[in-house]
Amino acid sequence: MIDYWREPFSREESLDTLNIFVRKWFESRYKELTPPQRYSLKLIKEGYNILITAPTGSGKTLSAFIGILSDLMNLSLNGKLEEKVYCIYVSPLRALNNDIHRNLSVPLEQIYDDISIDLRRITVGIRTGDTPQKDRQRMLAHPPNILITTPETLAIMINSEKFSRHLNGVKYVIIDELHELANNKRGVHLSLSIERLSNMIGHDFIRIGMGATLSPLDNAARFLAGYNGEKERDCYIVDATWDKRMDFIAVCPVPDIINERDSIIENSIYKLIDSIIKKNKTTLVFTNTRSGTERVVYNLSKRFKYSDDSIAAHHGSLSREMRLGVEDLLKKGKLRAAVSSTSLELGIDIGTIDNVVQIGSPKSVARVIQRIGRSGHSFNDIARGEVVVTNRDDLVECSVMLDAAMKRHMDTFTTPKNALDVLAQHIVGMSQNRKWNVDEAYDMIRNVYAYHELPKRDFISLLEYLSGMYVGLESRRVYAKIWYDTRENTFGRRGRLTKLIYYLNLGTIPDEVAIDVVTSANKWIGSIQEEFLSKLKPGDIFVLGGKPYRFEYSRVMKAYVSDAQGQIPTIPPWYSEQLPLTYELALEIGQFRERMAIAAGHAREKDIGTLRLLNKSRLKPNDEAREILDQMPLDENTKNSIFNYFVEQLLYTGYVPNDRFIIVERTADEEQERNLLIFHALYGRRINDALSRIFAIRIGDIYETDVAVNITDNGFVLVTELDVKIGRDDISQIISELGSTDARELLRENIRRTELMRRKFRHNAARSFMILRNYKGRKISVRKQQISSQYLLKAVEEISSEFPVLKETYREIFDDVMDLPRAEMIIRKLVNGEIKYKTIETVVPSPFSHNMITFGEADIVMMKDRRKHLRELHRQVLQQMRKLA
Amino acid sequence: MTMITRDIEIVDGLPVLYIKSLSAIACSDLHLGYEGVMADRGTFLPKMNLKKVKETVSKALEETHAERIIIDGDIKNEFSDVHVEEFNEFYDFANFLRKEHGLRHITLIKGNHDNFIERLRESLKFETYTEEGLLGDYLFFHGDALPQGKSGKTLIMGHVHPAIAIYNKLGVKEKFKAFLYGKMADGRELIVLPAMNYFAEGVSVNLEDVGVMAPVFDTMADVDMMTAYCIGEGESLNFGRVDRLRKIAFQ
Repeated sequence: MIDYWREPFSREESLDTLNIFVRKWFESRYKELTPPQRYSLKLIKEGYNILITAPTGSGKTLSAFIGILSDLMNLSLNGKLEEKVYCIYVSPLRALNNDIHRNLSVPLEQIYDDISIDLRRITVGIRTGDTPQKDRQRMLAHPPNILITTPETLAIMINSEKFSRHLNGVKYVIIDELHELANNKRGVHLSLSIERLSNMIGHDFIRIGMGATLSPLDNAARFLAGYNGEKERDCYIVDATWDKRMDFIAVCPVPDIINERDSIIENSIYKLIDSIIKKNKTTLVFTNTRSGTERVVYNLSKRFKYSDDSIAAHHGSLSREMRLGVEDLLKKGKLRAAVSSTSLELGIDIGTIDNVVQIGSPKSVARVIQRIGRSGHSFNDIARGEVVVTNRDDLVECSVMLDAAMKRHMDTFTTPKNALDVLAQHIVGMSQNRKWNVDEAYDMIRNVYAYHELPKRDFISLLEYLSGMYVGLESRRVYAKIWYDTRENTFGRRGRLTKLIYYLNLGTIPDEVAIDVVTSANKWIGSIQEEFLSKLKPGDIFVLGGKPYRFEYSRVMKAYVSDAQGQIPTIPPWYSEQLPLTYELALEIGQFRERMAIAAGHAREKDIGTLRLLNKSRLKPNDEAREILDQMPLDENTKNSIFNYFVEQLLYTGYVPNDRFIIVERTADEEQERNLLIFHALYGRRINDALSRIFAIRIGDIYETDVAVNITDNGFVLVTELDVKIGRDDISQIISELGSTDARELLRENIRRTELMRRKFRHNAARSFMILRNYKGRKISVRKQQISSQYLLKAVEEISSEFPVLKETYREIFDDVMDLPRAEMIIRKLVNGEIKYKTIETVVPSPFSHNMITFGEADIVMMKDRRKHLRELHRQVLQQMRKLA
Repeated sequence: MTMITRDIEIVDGLPVLYIKSLSAIACSDLHLGYEGVMADRGTFLPKMNLKKVKETVSKALEETHAERIIIDGDIKNEFSDVHVEEFNEFYDFANFLRKEHGLRHITLIKGNHDNFIERLRESLKFETYTEEGLLGDYLFFHGDALPQGKSGKTLIMGHVHPAIAIYNKLGVKEKFKAFLYGKMADGRELIVLPAMNYFAEGVSVNLEDVGVMAPVFDTMADVDMMTAYCIGEGESLNFGRVDRLRKIAFQ
């Protein structure tokens, strides 16, 4: 059973659980127990699984380890400490491992210094992909008592015949930064490893999870503890997130962010950040992208003469040495400010931070809490932070986000369920361990939260796939990774090379494909991500290394560009980096919009007249609006700007959309000769991705045309040629027909031919060992894998639509990339009238939609009928040829 | 069927030509055994190529009632010696042509991947040409080297795996396998066959430089002046000249 433990234990109760030397050491160093420690010592001592969430700097790590050290110290004193692993600590972040190693080694030395007897000492060791061969050899002879590792290395260790013997006595497994794992395949991979470990050693262990807060915590606890047959394993949740006080505010850099010039807004943002840095000793600045990080550091140093050793950038693209250097300067308190995208969000030790500045919306309540929580060193300090609003869309989003944070309204995470690619890897790993009965294996797998509802049929289809049943008998020698005996209902290892394949190809992080960017003369300019490339159209202008280039075309793994000096980029560089807005936050924004729209609707006629006349947003919020805004953590500029934003929107269109009211705006883009159909549907990109395609497919069916889509958090745009005019009736007809349509089937047919499908399929094929990255000791470049993903996909489709790699690709796209379940829910509500919609016409796109048109994620929904499609293309080509002639 | 000349048609929607005067179908670049070779390199493709090649050939034979098949090179995949998978599929395919379709007349032009032909020509009983073959008015050669023969009204080659990339109005790139047809500098006609191999995506001749691949386009013909016939599902359409398709793509 999952339960919350809400009453902390007393200091005495907690400390009484400790070994006397450990206690003495603890008391000599810490005056008091931090909130997580007041729960954890006793609960761990009593043998419970426990999930601890708390901000960094709350003694979280020690709260898990101190009890374990105490337990091992008892063994050490009794002379019963053996050379084997008692505790496994897993962190997704390799950088964290060294911190942890130091934070355990130093106390151990101090504790042993206090004891004059010569004892077998508790040992601590790190083992990751970086660990040199000779250290691994040494570890084989002398395994550490506490083993610090990563998810991938753990998976290798449980398949290592020699080393896995040292794991027989594991009593504790700690998963750190659980919030970074519970929502992705890497975490799913880890939880299968842990379940396999327990099965292998024939007993359970205490599972301790630590991390920043996430919601729902119950599911995080299930992810940690799993099941024992049909029964949930017990787990207590200790949520100490809110014991640290937080003080935050949304700040708007200028009085009128809606009409102010961009350059002035930018100046004011930097001035604002500078003044915050100057007011504090050490400030941590978060941006949402790596390029943003570079830009902020560059501008701050240039404008305000910060030297290189007073301000620094820290992000994943920097070298390890550079990052360690910055961390070190921070620890020593030498930096005035560090600027980071996500890399400093996690628990790396960075010393004392006074204040956090977040520039622009981080898109999630949990994330803003975690980032601001990085400030204030001890638990007794207050975490302080400012969220700087950067544009009009940000304005409302940041305000509502902080309001939600204040009210502890968290956004939710989901764990990928029944991921077949990850399971395929583990089945190969399991069969390397021993021969399995199919039912026994299935039962064990179902103990993992992410697979508790795994259909038996899916499991069997994986066994069939891995045993090479999709090719003829004569080829299985090469294809099969396992044998599967359907009569005996067993499976096991097969193939001399399989063990090596497993070691060299396991893990869930897809190879990042760097696309070379070159000129037509083959001069190398830089590289971009494959995903970014897939968004580029010929003629698009993007910035690389500070210079604009025009995209011409791409060939295999090269993008050809020409110089576009002096031209304005059409694609922002952060494009694919930005995270999607969470659904819960989207709903909160919708509800806020509804309330504010009513208040703004009561703006006085006289004021509105002034507004029209001046074309400036200088209205003061009326009393009604004040009542709403004053309860939120916002500065005056923010409050004023929000009010004006709503009044203007009402003036222009007469409506403000919200979560239960969608505006469909019909308009045209004369210059580019296209019609735009703008859906003001604020549900976040994951949902809008699915919604927009569904509408595009139906419109494509009706008009026999391709439809381009542009997707943002705030809505989506459907783009058609000028002669395709979508009427009001079409929209209502489409919506009413959607009631009886299987959206999943509709999307499946459409997604099949997209670039997204090809890319995701290749990732899944690699994770399912269908396309190896490393084979017979040769590294196979992504370039080589790339060659025929489109045809590979077609071939697999011919085998069966239930082919596991294919099935998993659709699942990942529908459930992880998109949020189809919620999109379907919104469609249901649109059909039954719970969500209303209104179609309006505008001469030019309304201000609300500008970001949607400019900055969305673009894709195309193609006609279903391929024969017609070729003819349509043919028509277009001939048309263009005529123009040329 | 889409007519290219009075004597030559594209069997609709298939990478196959029908030549009336020879009562033959012609295709190229089958690359049999492709999956086996790929599996050896760590990519475990479903076995699909042979099956698809057979389906395509069956369809083409049924539609045209041709009595002869001409394979214009690269019937198998590897450059080096014969891979066991290639061997099996090759014999399987030969049996299929003879037994299932009762084809007596099988002509093979040696491609750059077909170095085994000399060794097996006796036992195969295929009509084989190791350089090029003049069949009626047509000079068949694979395309990896320049054609030597001065006779033949029309030259037919493969090797390039031609395809056309088209950006539709909304800027998305799509690729279609294509036949190329045009005149050479010496006045004779040239046809390039698309790849029959199921997994071959093709080379976009309107984006890339094919002269590197096929010396014909370096010295004897201008790829830009060729006309492209794209293959869609169930039909093939004339998309006009490559140079114009190139201009459109770079607009």
